[in-house]
Amino acid sequence: MIKVENLSKRYGDLVVLKDISTKIKKGEVVSIIGPSGTGKSTFLRCLNLLDEPSGGSIFIDGENILDKKTDVPKIRQKMNMVFQSFNLFSHLSVLENLTLGPIKLKGVSKKEADKKSMDLLKMVGLAEKAENYPDELSGGQKQRVAIARCLAMEPEIILFDEPTSALDPTMVSEVLSVIRRLAKDGMTMAIVTHEMAFARDVSNRVFYMDQGLIYEEGSPKQIFDAPKKDRTKVFINRIRNFIFKIKTQDFDFYALNAEIEVFCEKQIIQKIMRANLLRVVEELLILYKPFLNKIELELEIAHSEKTNQLTLICQTTGNKFNPLDNKDLEDDIGLKIINTFTEVREFKWAGNKNRLELLFKN
Amino acid sequence: MRNVSYIKIFFLMLFFIFPLQSNANGEAQSTSNTKLISSLDDLKNKRIGVMLGSTHDAFAHKQYPQAEIFQYKGPADVLLGVKSGKTDVGIYNSVSLTEILKIDPELGLIDKPFEFSPVGFGFNKKNIELHSQFNAFFKTIKDNGVYEDMIDRWTKKGITDMPKIDTPNKNGILVAGHVSDGGLPFVTLRNNENVGLNIELAKRFAAYLGKDIRFDDMEFGGLIPALTTGKIDFIAVTLMFTEERKQKINFGEPYYEIGMSAFALKKNIASYSHENQTTNGPTFFTSILNSFQSNIIQEKRYLLILDGLKTTIIISILATIFGTLLGGIICFLRMSKNKLLNIPAKIYISILRGTPVLVILMIIFYVVFASVNINPIIVATIAFGMNCGAYAAEIFRSGIEGIEKGQMEAGIAMGFNKIKTFIYIILPQTVRRILPIYKGEIITLVKMTSIVGYIAVQDLTKASDIIRSRTFDAFFPLIMIAILYFLISLILIHILDYLEKITDPKYKRKARLKS
Repeated sequence: MIKVENLSKRYGDLVVLKDISTKIKKGEVVSIIGPSGTGKSTFLRCLNLLDEPSGGSIFIDGENILDKKTDVPKIRQKMNMVFQSFNLFSHLSVLENLTLGPIKLKGVSKKEADKKSMDLLKMVGLAEKAENYPDELSGGQKQRVAIARCLAMEPEIILFDEPTSALDPTMVSEVLSVIRRLAKDGMTMAIVTHEMAFARDVSNRVFYMDQGLIYEEGSPKQIFDAPKKDRTKVFINRIRNFIFKIKTQDFDFYALNAEIEVFCEKQIIQKIMRANLLRVVEELLILYKPFLNKIELELEIAHSEKTNQLTLICQTTGNKFNPLDNKDLEDDIGLKIINTFTEVREFKWAGNKNRLELLFKN
Repeated sequence: MRNVSYIKIFFLMLFFIFPLQSNANGEAQSTSNTKLISSLDDLKNKRIGVMLGSTHDAFAHKQYPQAEIFQYKGPADVLLGVKSGKTDVGIYNSVSLTEILKIDPELGLIDKPFEFSPVGFGFNKKNIELHSQFNAFFKTIKDNGVYEDMIDRWTKKGITDMPKIDTPNKNGILVAGHVSDGGLPFVTLRNNENVGLNIELAKRFAAYLGKDIRFDDMEFGGLIPALTTGKIDFIAVTLMFTEERKQKINFGEPYYEIGMSAFALKKNIASYSHENQTTNGPTFFTSILNSFQSNIIQEKRYLLILDGLKTTIIISILATIFGTLLGGIICFLRMSKNKLLNIPAKIYISILRGTPVLVILMIIFYVVFASVNINPIIVATIAFGMNCGAYAAEIFRSGIEGIEKGQMEAGIAMGFNKIKTFIYIILPQTVRRILPIYKGEIITLVKMTSIVGYIAVQDLTKASDIIRSRTFDAFFPLIMIAILYFLISLILIHILDYLEKITDPKYKRKARLKS
């Protein structure tokens, strides 16, 4: 139904969309997720030419909409859009907002348009607000009217541009349940959203967008449970990290401790976990210390806000060296402590790089 | 409640202005007490009122370099200047003054008339044919005794009725420029009609040519420019022969000889000082009644007011419509991204906002349409419309730009093209947004029309000028038209308020729910 080939979009020197190629089939519900500023909304707005693409081609039902001869307004009629800021026509009543398009664009009689619009308003639960004006509605009500306004044009596909981002948390669910119902009825939809749980259960396919690309795409299960690529993982698990580089034996240990404490506080890591982390770091540094004049150590602490997993990653360059595997130690107290607090310890040596990953017990 | 407050304002106006009026008279008395005027020599250090561009003006400047000279637009203002004490002395043509003094006991002449000069009509130097036709015509009436009869009736016997003269529209129309408040026996407005020696002479001339005649009432100073630019065919006033004028225009055969006279309030003139000045001033209400009688009822002057009112309203409406349409177009050009369109629009707006409307009005009348015979009402409509358009364009632009981008996007995304989005979504919201500011603009426009007298349109202000020139009463006509302008604005405000109300979508709902 929608075929996008090598779509790109630039604003002057700023490249927003690099090179996007994809297809959306009839009846599919596609969620587009990703960090802000990665071109999700721009991608959606390019699909109905609210933003003019800088390159590539877009086919709707086989028709190239970037062709000068194409009747774009006609195509937009079957591909309506729901905006983050609702954009209800403020000079028209709720009912008139719904009937304006059908009457003026499709030549439907007023009586018929009124009847159909009332049915749609009933569907979104706002029939009793038909005579009200947009400024008399709450945010959630406005967005439901906007969705009904879209449906009044009987579109084949609806583009949702962050439909719940401007809403109070208490009003998000009323809008999402209307969209869920549309999905159940088989409407083709492309939804830019930050509601992960919603994206997961409403869509057939998820696009993770990053760096102006569809960075990874797959079923919700693939993307949310087993993301393959690093950036996807970081985003899905909402991972925040802290990096500290050590170059000499005489590094400032207390400064390191203080910075770890600040990071833990920011991430709201429990006190016990924090203490464990500090002890493990200390023991590891004792193990690394004799070698620190020759090698450079990079310590990374990563915390997933979603799973509350805490990971410590130690990286050095040079010959294969695993501090946990050192035979020349005076005692194994340090190793014991590390083993007590961590549940997975993974060592990898590849391409001149040593990588030791420790996952803390929860 | 609101109506009551308007009435209050009206009465407040009355009570503030009446005392001021009597104050002005008191002041005049105190300044004039210094020294009485006994001869023309005494004028040398006085304040002298003259008509701008007249021979009196030139004479006063030459003869009395020490004096302070006030140049007025018309004879009525010269008279009022003297009567209200703004000037000590006025100079005007001796013949008309004699007539005026007959009905105004307050004023008196100083010495005898002086500087006698022949007077005649003025013709365009390029139009030699009309000039010689006039001279031939004048010879005819002199020969057959008609001329003598005219002079006899108007100046000697004081018969001021116009004889019936047929001016058939056989050979087109003759346009005469004149000043309707020149004063008898030459010209005056009575029962909303021009009468006088000048008028009769001009009409007879038109009849002689087999043409109809139209009199364009203008400022005295604007007559010669109007003639040279072809706005009028000839000047039908008692134009004194001067060398300066002869360089610009041709004079017809002189039909009369008049001098100048200086005049002042009798109580300031030595030769009248013995006269008893005790006059019992009429009471407040009888003076109002008298004013009403003389300014409105007498000689059907209300017709003047009604005609003026009609003209003011017509110009206001046409200029509003034209200005709004023009404003829409300019706004569209101004908002265009194409520099070829938006730069001319920007220039237009800044020029029209940066020049006085009066100047624009005169430029359009005397320069742009110099050689075109165009109805001055249309000229006024164009000038005020152009001015209004410049302001309207900016009002529209700010209204349109004030509407969130999302409204446009929602329309576009729904499948409307740009024009339809504008018509169905942007325009209705813009109208509602700009009405409060636009209201003020329209009211300003209505008041602005009061300057059309400059291009010979007889509007409300001009009507009051004419009445003033006949009754020498500054107060009543001015207050009356002030009230009339106020009423027009008031009605307009109510109409626009109503418009504002019905464009409120919630008002529509209320109406719907009621029905």
